[in-house]
Amino acid sequence: MLRGLEACPRHLLVCEKSSFLHEKSRHSALVQSHYYNCSVSLLLPECASLPEHIKRTVDNFGRYYLVRNLPLHEFVKEDFINTFVKKGAFYALTYRTRIDQDNSAALLPTGKLILSVDKDTYEELGLQGKPSLYSGKNPLRYIIKIDLTEEGLAPGGKKFQRLNWAFTEKKPLKCDFLLAWDNTGAPSILSYFCKYTVKECNFKITSRISRDLPCPVLKSGDLHGKPEESCSSEELFDWLGAVSNSIDCDNDSSNFISAFCCPHPNTMVERAHLCTINGFVTPENIQRLLDQLREYFAEPKLTQWVSLIVHGFADSPVSWKECEHGFFKGGENLYSVVVFNNQDYWLQMAVGTHDGCPP
Amino acid sequence: MDPMHGRMREQPKLAGPTSYERIVLKNPSEHHYMKVQLEFNGEGAQLSATQFKLLVVSALKNLHGEVGSSLPLDLLSFDEKTLCAVLRVCSRGLVKLWSSLTLLGHYKNHECSIRVIQTSPFLLALAGNSRELDLE
Repeated sequence: MLRGLEACPRHLLVCEKSSFLHEKSRHSALVQSHYYNCSVSLLLPECASLPEHIKRTVDNFGRYYLVRNLPLHEFVKEDFINTFVKKGAFYALTYRTRIDQDNSAALLPTGKLILSVDKDTYEELGLQGKPSLYSGKNPLRYIIKIDLTEEGLAPGGKKFQRLNWAFTEKKPLKCDFLLAWDNTGAPSILSYFCKYTVKECNFKITSRISRDLPCPVLKSGDLHGKPEESCSSEELFDWLGAVSNSIDCDNDSSNFISAFCCPHPNTMVERAHLCTINGFVTPENIQRLLDQLREYFAEPKLTQWVSLIVHGFADSPVSWKECEHGFFKGGENLYSVVVFNNQDYWLQMAVGTHDGCPP
Repeated sequence: MDPMHGRMREQPKLAGPTSYERIVLKNPSEHHYMKVQLEFNGEGAQLSATQFKLLVVSALKNLHGEVGSSLPLDLLSFDEKTLCAVLRVCSRGLVKLWSSLTLLGHYKNHECSIRVIQTSPFLLALAGNSRELDLE
């Protein structure tokens, strides 16, 4: 019994090092396949204010939308599929639904509609799905995947009619949805969904400057770190957490309140700029930000690296690609990219218990 | 001494493109982190970080005795205004800490409870909570 009490839930941290200059570098693919992101942060050591080109990219993030009580059958309309889904980069995710208790849905930019529903809803819907990977022997949650771009889903076809019938008559599901579309010069989400209550949302941008911060010493070629030479990727990930949560790292081991300290070796930086953008951030926007971060070192800088931190939605039905995601104790799915001044990078991806290994 | 070492000192740039490497760490974190908030029923009390830590340690002692109160536990941050705190506990102590916090009911004759806002083996995960995305 005691052993059970002391067991800790499984979690994974994947660390990679590579260079942006490598032809087969996977950074873009990994950023692009983490679809649902609720916050992005930039950590720039030795930086007083954001450089103009990065600030411009952040300001150009555009907007996202919150649509109230949107019936799911809106997604299987021919008009909708042709106007949005087939053009790509359309993102939808249910808002304020909890993946461990409510019905939730996500429309991936690839055109796949993924529903994570409880057993009752699944039986009422009458659509084909699979039991959730994390629901044990007697599944109480099911995952339904529908490819909206599939040829067999032609309007008027049997499959199309069945879907429409399931969503309009059998079980008319309605949810609040977050929508984002990375496609300018097209009919806007606002006008298309004018029948419903649509709220245009702006990203919330906050900046904070930490002063006199101990900052780990890193060597881009050495993920594991060496005592007295450089810190490991794992230690850095911990430290990034401390900076993001404004936690004081300057404690000694006998301190009663906290003995948390910055990994060794470290150097004191005069200031570090942490800029956080909250909202429904598309991978395309993150990719643009990452490209700008690579440009950051075009001029000589005092720091040797900067970092980009991305948090995924805890209640999204997927983490990377179509990998099923659940909440369990925290629903964490996040990653950070450390960009070095020689175009090397480190990528750290972390997931909690109900999640597959990051790709 | 490594000949690279001397060169790196003179030149601020790091060495050339690095080769690809991937490591997968299973259960790497020795600690678990909890973001909690102290709530009072009715009129509350003022607490400092030290008093809050004492409160948590005494809760552990009440439920799990000396073994519980000697768990490695750190109060990483505490906001005296909102009474929000970030706690770090060794992973094997997570269940003990969580149960003690749940059963905590009093602070100096004030009725109180502790709400667990978020928990994770990664400190960084506490910096972004999609459930707090408020668009109302």
